[in-house]
Amino acid sequence: MKIALSAAVAALALMAAMPAGAQEKQSRLDEVLARGHLVMGTGSTNAPWHFKSADDKLQGFDVDMGRIVAKALFGDPDKIEYVNQSSDARIPNITTDKVDLTCQFMTVTGERAQQIAFTIPYYREGVGLMLKGDSKYADYAALKGAGSGVTISVLQNVYAEAMVHAALPEAKVDQYESVDLIYQALESGRADAVATDQSSLAWYMKQNPDRYKDAGYGWNPQTYACGVKRGDQDWLNFVNTALHEAMTGVEFDFYANSYKTWFGKELAPPQIGFPVEYK
Amino acid sequence: MELVTFFETLWLARIPILKGIGVTVSISVLAILVGTILGIGVGLALTYGNRPLRWLVRGYTDFIRGTPVLVLVLASYYVLGTIGIDLGPFQAGVLALAVFCSSHVGEIVRGALQSIPRGQTEAAKAIGLTFPQTFAYVLGPQALRQVLPAWVNTAAEMVKASTLLSIIGVAELLLRTQELISRTFMSLEFYFFAGFLYFVVNYGIERFGRYVERKTSIPS
Repeated sequence: MKIALSAAVAALALMAAMPAGAQEKQSRLDEVLARGHLVMGTGSTNAPWHFKSADDKLQGFDVDMGRIVAKALFGDPDKIEYVNQSSDARIPNITTDKVDLTCQFMTVTGERAQQIAFTIPYYREGVGLMLKGDSKYADYAALKGAGSGVTISVLQNVYAEAMVHAALPEAKVDQYESVDLIYQALESGRADAVATDQSSLAWYMKQNPDRYKDAGYGWNPQTYACGVKRGDQDWLNFVNTALHEAMTGVEFDFYANSYKTWFGKELAPPQIGFPVEYK
Repeated sequence: MELVTFFETLWLARIPILKGIGVTVSISVLAILVGTILGIGVGLALTYGNRPLRWLVRGYTDFIRGTPVLVLVLASYYVLGTIGIDLGPFQAGVLALAVFCSSHVGEIVRGALQSIPRGQTEAAKAIGLTFPQTFAYVLGPQALRQVLPAWVNTAAEMVKASTLLSIIGVAELLLRTQELISRTFMSLEFYFFAGFLYFVVNYGIERFGRYVERKTSIPS
């Protein structure tokens, strides 16, 4: 009895000695709920991920991921304050608390995961090939079969040549410095196909229906996930739950609608019964 | 055909572009104004301050002038936040540009003041003017004529440096242009157009400088 008492006193003393903030440290989840809106970091210059509509409203797939989280928080997807940031500012804005959450086509890498906490993935990006609708090449196999006879237009990048050659080892690679130019090269016949992110291709084909076709091959996988500050498991769990249920549960229609809007493809609803995650 | 599409797109995007110009102009005007006021103080301290003050201000100008504007912008957005001064992107950007501007204006002012012969200060003293009076009636007006051409140069630099604020998410003209390009894929056209708008703003500053130069020139 006496020992138990002195142990309790020691524990109390220890608690009192700890800084007040440490024992009452709230999760960001409570902070966001008390504030009444989510502060989300994203960009404004990359369709279909995060860009401005003609009437100057921020939209895109990344933006919709934030709206899913806001809906889970407040039942209202519009309760978001956007922090407009360049790609370089994604990680600093998380670590310096400028944002609660960043969804900005962020590729998951080991290096980044040391600085911020990644949520579960919400999309898998890859490189694809786009042909003109009336191209003499039917698909990827035909392009590969033509060997050095095909020219591929691609965005200028140190790895661009190696990236194309991973799929088409003999193809001629023309590098251009902006996105509109790689499409123009295809349009004008200087290139037989465009190689770039499949999401960009999907968006471009949706904007220009029936003029182009996908060669039906993807490579260079990259995982896109949102990021939060490290060390707040409660908040990370919440965002994960919101995203997870959007891809597999009650908010599936929200996710599927967004997917259809930005990538032009219908998603099959998750199978009922045994959870898809454990297949 | 191409040109018609361009003007149609431009017309649809007029509001965001005008907002962008508004933000670019307000950043520039604020930074130039605050930077000039601070810069005059810096110039005075460099020329007439006592030794400790002079060393302090010399350290400040050398440090700021030797740092890229981008670093200053990032520092005032991120580093100030960690010591409890949490500025929004717009305020942080204006602060960084104003500080940068002040170091340049300070050097320009110092150069102008030092080019005035010492005899003028002595003469002012001899007829009993206090230092503020000497500056307002004798040194200031002469220095102003020397300062103007270099000041126009610095002011134009500030307008161009304002594009760096797009990095921390201030929706100024360049970021607005990039937003427009990401939707329309018309990069050459709209970058060219943005370049033209920057030229117009800077041309306005140059005309303003000329106007003040004319007003303050000694009638011959």
